[in-house]
Amino acid sequence: MNLSDFSLDRYRKHARAAGLLLAAILVAAWRTEVNLGDLAKASSKAASLIGLFFPPDWESFPKMIGPAFVTVLIAAVATPIGTLCALALGLASARNISPPWLRLTMRSLIALERGVPEIVLVLILVAAFGIGPFTGVVALTIASIGMLGKLVGDAIEEIDTATVESVACVGATRGQLIRYAVLPQVMPSLLTNSMFRFEVNIRASVLLGAIGSGGIGYELMQSMNQLEYHKTTVAVVVSLLLVFLAERLSDAIRSRVLEGARLT
Amino acid sequence: MLKVTNLTKRLPNGKVLLNGITFTVEKGEFVGILGASGAGKSLTMRCIVGLTTVTDGEVIFTGEGGKTYRTTTIQGKELRRARRNIGVIFQGFHLVKRLTVLENVMIGRLGRINPLRSWLYGFTDREAADAMEALGRVGMSDFAARATGSLSGGEMQRVAIARAIFQKPLCYLADEPIASLDPKNSRAIMRLLQPLASEQPIIGAFHQPEMTAQFCTRVIAIRNGTVIYDGDPHLSPAQLAQIYSQDGGSELEEGFEEASRPLVPALATR
Repeated sequence: MNLSDFSLDRYRKHARAAGLLLAAILVAAWRTEVNLGDLAKASSKAASLIGLFFPPDWESFPKMIGPAFVTVLIAAVATPIGTLCALALGLASARNISPPWLRLTMRSLIALERGVPEIVLVLILVAAFGIGPFTGVVALTIASIGMLGKLVGDAIEEIDTATVESVACVGATRGQLIRYAVLPQVMPSLLTNSMFRFEVNIRASVLLGAIGSGGIGYELMQSMNQLEYHKTTVAVVVSLLLVFLAERLSDAIRSRVLEGARLT
Repeated sequence: MLKVTNLTKRLPNGKVLLNGITFTVEKGEFVGILGASGAGKSLTMRCIVGLTTVTDGEVIFTGEGGKTYRTTTIQGKELRRARRNIGVIFQGFHLVKRLTVLENVMIGRLGRINPLRSWLYGFTDREAADAMEALGRVGMSDFAARATGSLSGGEMQRVAIARAIFQKPLCYLADEPIASLDPKNSRAIMRLLQPLASEQPIIGAFHQPEMTAQFCTRVIAIRNGTVIYDGDPHLSPAQLAQIYSQDGGSELEEGFEEASRPLVPALATR
C-alpha cells in the first residue's frame, strides 16, 4: 500500500463517520421537536417580556441580603464537611492504602453519590428533613463527597510511593504515614478541588433554594410566582454577584496554593 | 550488630536475584557494597529493612538493649521497632517535598514518639532544637525553613542524612547515596558519612570503587546475586573487572525492577 492510498482511505472513513453523526443529530432534532420557526417567535416574545423586568425594584435589595447570606452559608457549611468526608472516603478508596474489598465498596459508594443529581437529592431529602437550609446542606455535602471523593482517591493513588516507603523506614505507624507522607502530597489537589467545589456549591445552592432549601433561590422563585418581575431582576443580580464573588475568592486561594505547589 | 545469612530472593518465574548473600557488619565499620546494576545491592538493602520479602535466609539486627530482630520475618510493631534503629538513606532522597526541611528531619523520629501526639500536635521544641543540630552537622542549618522541593540534589541528600542522624539509629543503610550527584557533591557526602561510621556502622551501596577505596573500611562485592569478594577496600583493576563482568545483566535488571516495584499496598509495613 502506498501513502496516497492510505490517506484517501482515512478521509473516506472520516467522511462516513461525519455523515452518520449528522444523521443522528437530525433524527434527534426531529424527535425533540426542534423548530426554527418557534425559536424566532419565542425570541420576539422574550424580547417583549424583558421589559417587565425593568426597572429593577432596588427597594427590595435590603430584603435580599438575608436570603443571599443563607445561600452562601449552605455552601460554606457543606463544602468543608464534604471535603473532610471525601478525604476519609478517598483514603479508604485508594488502591495503595486500602484492601481491595474496602476500596471497591468505597468507590461504588462515591460513584453512587456522584450519580444522583443534586435536585433529585433535595426532592428526596425534603421528604425526610422538610423544607429548609439544612436539607440543602445535606444535599450539597453528599454531592461534594461524590465529586471530591473520587478526585482525592485518584490523587492518593498517584502519590510517590518511594517517599511513603522512605518514611516507613523510620518506623512510622500507618497513621503517621498518612499524616506525614500521604497528606502533604495530596493537600494541594485537595484544596484546589474543594475551592472549585465551593464555587459549584454556591451555584447549586441558588438552584436548590428554588425547590426547597431557602435562600436567594427561593426569593427568585417567589417573585416570579407572584409576577413581581422587578424583584426577580434584583434576585438575579444578587445571585450573579454571589457566583462571581465565589469565583474570585476561590481563584485567589487556588493561585496561592498552586504557587506553593510549584516549588516541588 | 547486623548479620545477613544466606539471603535468597527468587521470583515466581524462577529467576534468582539474590543467591545466598552472607555477611556480618560490626560496630565501627563503613562497608561499601560494589556491583554492577542489577547485581542485587539495593535488593539486599531492601531485604534488610523488610521492604521486600525474601525467599530464604535471614537478617538478624541487634537493636536497643541488645534485643535481636529478625527483620526478614517480623511485621507490624516489631518491624517498626527494628526500623527506627536503622537509618536509611536513598539514592532518590525520597523526602516529603511539600514539607519544610526541618519537618523532614523531624520525621526521622516518628518511630519514637506517640502516634497520637504526632498526629494532633506534631513535634516539640526540644525535638526541633535537636533536628536543627542534626542539620548543623550536615551544614544545612540555613535551609531549615525552606520548602524541601526547592532544594538541589546535593542539598536534599544532606537533609536525608540529617534525618538519619536525627533518628539516632544503631546502624545506617545508604542505598547508592551518591549515584545521582556530581563528583564534588559525592565527595562532600562521603566526607559527611565517614565520621558517622565511627559512631554507628554504615552499609552503603556504591558505584564508585575509588570512593569506597578512599572512605570505606571494607568492601563487599556482589555479582549475579552472590558475594564474590569481602575484605580490603582497595581492589586491583583485575578484581574490579571481574566484579563488573556480570553476565545476563540486563535480564537481571529487569527482574530486579519487578522485585522492587512499589509494594501493594504500599502502606503495608511489609
